[in-house]
Amino acid sequence: MTSTWLSPRAGPAAGSAAPKWRALAPSRFGAIGLAELAPLLVLVGLCVALGLLNPSFFSFRNLVWGVANSAAIPLILAMGATFIILMGSIDLSIEGALSVGTMIVALLCANDSNANNFGWWGPLLALIACTALGLANGLVHVVLRIPSFMATLGVWFVGLGIGTVALGGSEIRVLDRTIRSIAFERVLAFPLAVWIAAAMFFFALFLERKTRFGRYIYAIGGGEDIAALSGVPVKRTRILAFALAGFFNGVAAVLAAAQLGQANTTIANGRLFMTVTAVVVGGTSLSGGWGGIANSLIGVLIVAVLANGMVLLGISPYVHETVQGLMIIAAVALSVRRGRSLIVK
Amino acid sequence: MDSGRNNSRSDQISRRHLLRSAAVLGAGAFVGGAPLTARAAAPPTLVTSIRSLSNPYHAVWKIGAEAFAKSVGLQHVTLVTEANSEKGISDIRAMIAKTGGDMVLNVDPNNTPDARPIVEACHKAKVYVVTWWNKPADLHPWDFNPYYISHIEFDGVTNGGYITEELFKAMGDDGGFVALGGMISDSAAIDRRKGMMDALKKHPKVQLLDFQTADWQSQKAFDVTSSWLTRFGDKIKGVWAANDDMGVGALEALRAQGLAGKVPVVGIDGIKAAVEAVKAGEFVCTVTSDPYWQGGIGLSMALEALQGKFDPAKEPKIHREFNARTVKITRDNVEEYIKTQVDSHPTIDWTDLWSRVASPIVYG
Repeated sequence: MTSTWLSPRAGPAAGSAAPKWRALAPSRFGAIGLAELAPLLVLVGLCVALGLLNPSFFSFRNLVWGVANSAAIPLILAMGATFIILMGSIDLSIEGALSVGTMIVALLCANDSNANNFGWWGPLLALIACTALGLANGLVHVVLRIPSFMATLGVWFVGLGIGTVALGGSEIRVLDRTIRSIAFERVLAFPLAVWIAAAMFFFALFLERKTRFGRYIYAIGGGEDIAALSGVPVKRTRILAFALAGFFNGVAAVLAAAQLGQANTTIANGRLFMTVTAVVVGGTSLSGGWGGIANSLIGVLIVAVLANGMVLLGISPYVHETVQGLMIIAAVALSVRRGRSLIVK
Repeated sequence: MDSGRNNSRSDQISRRHLLRSAAVLGAGAFVGGAPLTARAAAPPTLVTSIRSLSNPYHAVWKIGAEAFAKSVGLQHVTLVTEANSEKGISDIRAMIAKTGGDMVLNVDPNNTPDARPIVEACHKAKVYVVTWWNKPADLHPWDFNPYYISHIEFDGVTNGGYITEELFKAMGDDGGFVALGGMISDSAAIDRRKGMMDALKKHPKVQLLDFQTADWQSQKAFDVTSSWLTRFGDKIKGVWAANDDMGVGALEALRAQGLAGKVPVVGIDGIKAAVEAVKAGEFVCTVTSDPYWQGGIGLSMALEALQGKFDPAKEPKIHREFNARTVKITRDNVEEYIKTQVDSHPTIDWTDLWSRVASPIVYG
């Protein structure tokens, strides 16, 4: 079986026809298709171009702070979103969950609003709360049979609402030095945030490649009816995937609170769009069943390098968005698998 | 009456108002001009309309409005547009219908065109109104005498220039700095940037290394500043931010690389994190429009006009349309500012209506 690092396939254990068919498709040409390597090629091309235009791109300082550190939170968010998008669903609740998570961290640790000082209980409870929100996404989506789009939209606003009520619209500063150190403590020259993101990446990769859960995800995304007929516990897997995404959102929330040293309701503005963009640019199909965790790593790096490059090259902010939009279209155009699906919606 | 009880009661009522206003949304437009009964008898309702309760600026605005309401013992209702102009306008119409016009309004219109229908509805229902920040250039309070009392803004060019001068002073009037702008199409962002560019022309030895936008957000400012630090390194002697949230994001990016306090930062808005940073010597200064004052003074103007204490039609034009004075927070006054404005709420003489008139609004 042709298998590359970039194009994970559902193994035979998934027992589903769809992923298998997809797994076999590229081998017809006896090589890995250009489409699968496209995101990686885009990333390499971007890096080379940037390095040529501004050699400081490859400086250690830039790779650590300009790229890796900026990519840490988006990467963690993308990990959760990838599982959801692989199933052909979407999780819109990211910003709401981040708002709740950062709020819990800030309110429970030493802060400038109340006398609490519970240290690590804050991050722990934030993780639990975000996982619970994810679980709520899954339950509303599966049990009430509401499309994930609507279910998570609802949870997004519930999260924002909770944040607004609890914070009263104000911002709260995190004064706890140990929690702030998550963002700034350096281990082997990299900030701890980058190591946490890396750990989350390998955790997600493990789930995707080495567990039944990971295979079920592909099976559901490839063809839910077939997966269900083959005995895949579709409902349970869906709920679990949403809870897992909630967990990743929680980790990102803790990092965001540590990095910015504050919590406010609008702290996560723009995160949802960035996350979905990164996952799709990485080559994961919005219709599900195709792509994976490694693709999302590439996607996040493309988005982060692009943002970094705009600043390094001093591109006028007036054309930023246009350039970003063009790059996204180019990246997706290169990686789309034409001919595999007959209809483009 | 004991104030705690009073508060909780007005809370309840305001919730009921909101619920009911939802029900009369459609009807609002038609009953706007209904006969105004019992105006003299019932005490007027104080009404505030703002964008949201989830940003620090408007949250403080509401606190100021409530403080004023408490000081005069009247009921206060906050309407929230949630950045939806349609909702903002129809909520106000519904409130006019609900109170039979027995109210005064202090409004931060969601968008520039919104001011006209709001003012027209108020004028028709004989409701005194004060607007802030946004209105069309050809809409003037004196065209709606006496009910449209004033329109008040803050001069972004002046503020942008002021923080620039302070930044340059801290930089020793020499070296390079980077600037973070707000959303490109936002008029406040444009004005503040213009103030910065104008000030820059007066200081030939200072160099603007790069200008980028971070959409008013700290997270974006954090990422942009991280990249700047690798591009310019030690050449960055200062960071200019069009608002405090971005300034704080930049400050945290500096802190990550051990540069907090070494590279001066300036911002606008006076948010708590920035004020604390001024105290810590990491921010040079920030400027605030004082939303606490905005929340109370607009209601006070409208209430005094309603009570016949002054006639808006007889006020000079500079009182009808003006830029208000801002509060500047620097190292020199930050301790005092925290004591009187952050740790406790300030005592403001709400009857001193025109003390912060600074300059006429210039349209161009």
